[in-house]
Amino acid sequence: MTPREQRIFGFAVFAAFAVIVLVLPQFISDFRARDYAYVGIYLIALLGLNILTGYTGQISLGHGAFMAIGGYTTAILMAGNEQFGGPIPSGMQDIWTLPIAGLVAGLFGLAFGLPALRLSGLYLALATFAIAVAMPSTVKRFEEHTGGGQGIQLFGLPELTGSNAVAPADPNAPATFEVLGLTFTQNDWMYYLAWSIALAAFAGAWLILRGRTGRAFRAVRDSETAAVSSGVSLARYKTLAFGISAAYAGVAGGLFAIASAFVNPDTFPIALSIFLLVGIVVGGLGGLSGLVVGAIFVAFLPLWAQGQDLGSVLPDSVIQGDTVSIPILGDFLFKGTSAPGGPAIVYGIVLILLMFVLPNGVGGLFRRVGQAITNRRYSRSK
Amino acid sequence: MLAAAFTDFMQQVVSGLASGGIYALLALALVIIHRSTGVINFAQGEMATLSAYIAWALIAHHSWGYWPAFAATLVISFVGGIGIHTAVIRPVERGSVLRIVIVTIGLLVAINGFVVWQWSGEPQQLQSPFGTDVYDVGGVVVAAHDIGTITVALGIVLLLGALFRFTKVGLALRAAAVNPEEARLVGVRVSWMLGLGWGLAALLGAVAGMLTAPTVGLDPNMMAAVLIYAFAAAILGGIDSPIGAVVGGLLIGVLLNMLSFLSQYGMFDWFTEELRLPMALLIILAVLLVRPHGILGRPEVKRV
Amino acid sequence: MIRRRSAAVAAFGAALAFVLPAAFAGSTADPGISATAVVIGGTSPLTGPAASYASVARGANAYFQFVNSRGGVNKRRIEYRIVDDAYNPAQTVQAVRRLVEQDRVFAVFNTLGTESNLAIRDYLNQVKVPQLFVASGATTWGRDAAKYPWTIGFQPSYAAEGLVYGQYIARARKQAKVAVLFQNDDYGKDLLASLKLGLGRSGSKVVAAEAYQVTSSDVGSQVAKLKASGANVFCIFATPTFAIQAYVFANRLGWKPLVVNNAVSGTSNIMVLASEGGKNRLVEGTVTTTVLKDPTDPRWKKDAGMKQYRALLAKYAKGANPDDVYHVYGMAVGYETVSLFRRLGATPTRTALMARARSISSAKNPFLLPGVSVKTGKGDNFPIQQGQLQRWTKGRFVAVGGLWTSKRN
Repeated sequence: MTPREQRIFGFAVFAAFAVIVLVLPQFISDFRARDYAYVGIYLIALLGLNILTGYTGQISLGHGAFMAIGGYTTAILMAGNEQFGGPIPSGMQDIWTLPIAGLVAGLFGLAFGLPALRLSGLYLALATFAIAVAMPSTVKRFEEHTGGGQGIQLFGLPELTGSNAVAPADPNAPATFEVLGLTFTQNDWMYYLAWSIALAAFAGAWLILRGRTGRAFRAVRDSETAAVSSGVSLARYKTLAFGISAAYAGVAGGLFAIASAFVNPDTFPIALSIFLLVGIVVGGLGGLSGLVVGAIFVAFLPLWAQGQDLGSVLPDSVIQGDTVSIPILGDFLFKGTSAPGGPAIVYGIVLILLMFVLPNGVGGLFRRVGQAITNRRYSRSK
Repeated sequence: MLAAAFTDFMQQVVSGLASGGIYALLALALVIIHRSTGVINFAQGEMATLSAYIAWALIAHHSWGYWPAFAATLVISFVGGIGIHTAVIRPVERGSVLRIVIVTIGLLVAINGFVVWQWSGEPQQLQSPFGTDVYDVGGVVVAAHDIGTITVALGIVLLLGALFRFTKVGLALRAAAVNPEEARLVGVRVSWMLGLGWGLAALLGAVAGMLTAPTVGLDPNMMAAVLIYAFAAAILGGIDSPIGAVVGGLLIGVLLNMLSFLSQYGMFDWFTEELRLPMALLIILAVLLVRPHGILGRPEVKRV
Repeated sequence: MIRRRSAAVAAFGAALAFVLPAAFAGSTADPGISATAVVIGGTSPLTGPAASYASVARGANAYFQFVNSRGGVNKRRIEYRIVDDAYNPAQTVQAVRRLVEQDRVFAVFNTLGTESNLAIRDYLNQVKVPQLFVASGATTWGRDAAKYPWTIGFQPSYAAEGLVYGQYIARARKQAKVAVLFQNDDYGKDLLASLKLGLGRSGSKVVAAEAYQVTSSDVGSQVAKLKASGANVFCIFATPTFAIQAYVFANRLGWKPLVVNNAVSGTSNIMVLASEGGKNRLVEGTVTTTVLKDPTDPRWKKDAGMKQYRALLAKYAKGANPDDVYHVYGMAVGYETVSLFRRLGATPTRTALMARARSISSAKNPFLLPGVSVKTGKGDNFPIQQGQLQRWTKGRFVAVGGLWTSKRN
């Protein structure tokens, strides 16, 4: 395909995807729409992280912290922090807090991007990991602004769109409300809100990455020396990538706070940062299309891990009845994975296996399939 | 009054050294794995916890004596470390840093899940090889276990120093980590050496786990906090320097206690207990920025 | 007695029978109820740092399975869905909405953690789904029942517990100087505040209080500072791992205060661990309070309730450690839930469930200490408000005085 054809093809795929996103709620239950709203939210965060890690080559194990900054910005603007002794009054409608959440997180990102210039590879991973680990304690330290460990309750606030929803006559049907003349359930609203922003964010990422800036990012990733010698300012583009990436995470964090209608330090644990990094690796670094799969993965894997039975994976000779025999250590009782700790075993093993079988993530798989198709097309047209 | 304050102060120093000894031991394991394989192992803490649980299970469930269990745990951990390298690290070794990071995180999650799943989450007690004696030095109390822990850490530094400096294996280990291609050319079995590095780190982790558990209590998450401080210790001391890991660990232990102690007397009054962990992380950031090779490490030479 | 109560229940049921059809005119049965099963669900940390609390859910589930094996409640099986939330309130929100909106549970039950329950309380009260027997000791579950009619707690509140310790210390020691180690969250702060309330103007007072974070590696520094305060009473308001550390460090420092340990860590197996094989003398004389029968206490070796507990755990929660007292808590709450459903009769509704939950009078829970009753009624929304002070003496707990009853909360 010529670049022009490629662009048209990409645009068509994007349009088709947008249509699917638009009509999907018609075909799934009201609650599923909520599940997929989270997919949209994760997609936004992954798009941002991918700009940093996939395109610019800087590992961040701390994007949960930027989500926390966005989430707390949104929550504080909505509920105010006067109730804890802080200066900010309540009263901002939820959707208007999102650009501010992105901006605040973006500024933090820029600020962190400057020192991060001096770090690379594993050291940057470690430094960002440190940020994510420190975040919950820091939030607790500034209790008068953040509400400390108790967190901030958003459910039922007038600032939360849809909190005025009225229950219909049928007690089994969900409550509905109107926005701009359209009727939504709370879950559908969350879905459309998350996905309209996600699609805009997707388009935004595409625009950033296809132009000069994107080329500069890739140059930095592929060889810093070569990038510098061809006139790309490392400092400028690395911090820029951090800023943009953090702004995306901030918006995602704001949406996350709205969807959960609650924030506290435990809602942005280190596990979230790890999930996000796993999400872009699964999605395939440096590509956009695979990220949707990465987002689905992040949203659903923990849930899926709970339903799995490790016993079915182990050979029968090891499990006899309820007992597992391990040499030297003796016999252990086999408990099934619904027991505490079980889901974590499944989750950890899946992570490791994925790194084996999909070294380039799902995006890599997409690209390979895509190449196979185009190759065949070329050979046919010959 | 002043004398009492001085005694309290010294007690905080001793208590900081005791915590620092624990950080130092795990930091040593991090250093050895970084030095011999170039990897930062996020699962190091959980591997140590698993080792401590194995020792405990041998003693509590299988009526082994302490020292046989100790020795068996070292062997199991060493073999287990090599096994982990062969099974999960080798397949991704040549890939990007990111894949290795995620694999070690997968290990962290899986091992932690396994410990909870197998032995449940409630705390257990593992005895100290140094007993429960305490010594009173002019009003300041020092525990035998803490002296033992720091002594072991320093002993390990000497052994590692000897290994890397005076033995062929040590040289091969370093060569394999620093430049695998050239090491291979001169006949070093790189993959074996990397496996050996993992085995050694797991072994040191086992020592760390078995000496940490008597102080903090054997618990599936006992290393979660220690790992962060150990990272800080390793970075502060220099990620490739064993003696740096020990010095870094002790420094961090004492430093945090000092902040906490002085905040009682109006100095550093912004410091509250919430900031203990963030301070350790600030140390990581500051060192990485100002002196990335740490206080006792050698600067990395970048070839362009 | 039993007959009289069932007569009262029948009268109340008849009264409800008049009220309910009016309230539910034209509506079908509530979700989660079928001819053969009633589905309830709740979150519990199966992974992450708080995974040890999952025993609460497992204990309850074991009891339900036992009841199901006997034909269930009013010919319905109790199906209890336990969902992991990793102790993260955001995940609790999503999991609970899934239980309500997708799995269509009849009630949300035994969800663990103060913040997790706070995060879902407004939602559940808006959609009018019972938030039954919250597994958290915060005072708000009972205190704010008027505002949140669909939420009810279970265990004695931390505030009640702290008050009891304060009153005990004021009685036991004149001019006591109290040092407190507390977890830096609601649980620790509630205990500390109510301890001070309990000490009142007795002349005894808190001279030092040191917080620790759950992310701390050890509490050695805090204990050294507390000792330096010159206190002669040491209150440990910490979870088991940190409580054991507190004993170990205090002993190493040669500190010999009277120790008051909170109920979360005041169990026999924790005391045995803290005593370091008998070498730690500080453990001796520790005062704590409890409502549950301690599975490691020899007193209950032949007790029918605890025999049943061990049998059920072995059969229905394979591999679970019977010494873990959280399982006993789970069975106790499971027992109350079953008797609640029993009294709901053949056609349970959510409204009736909450009405019954606000009028419990159960004195014979086999997993609670004899004499401890589960009681709610007009103006009383705290199911358990009693406890027993006990002292660790020569390797076991000995009761101190009679049962205490909290009137304030």
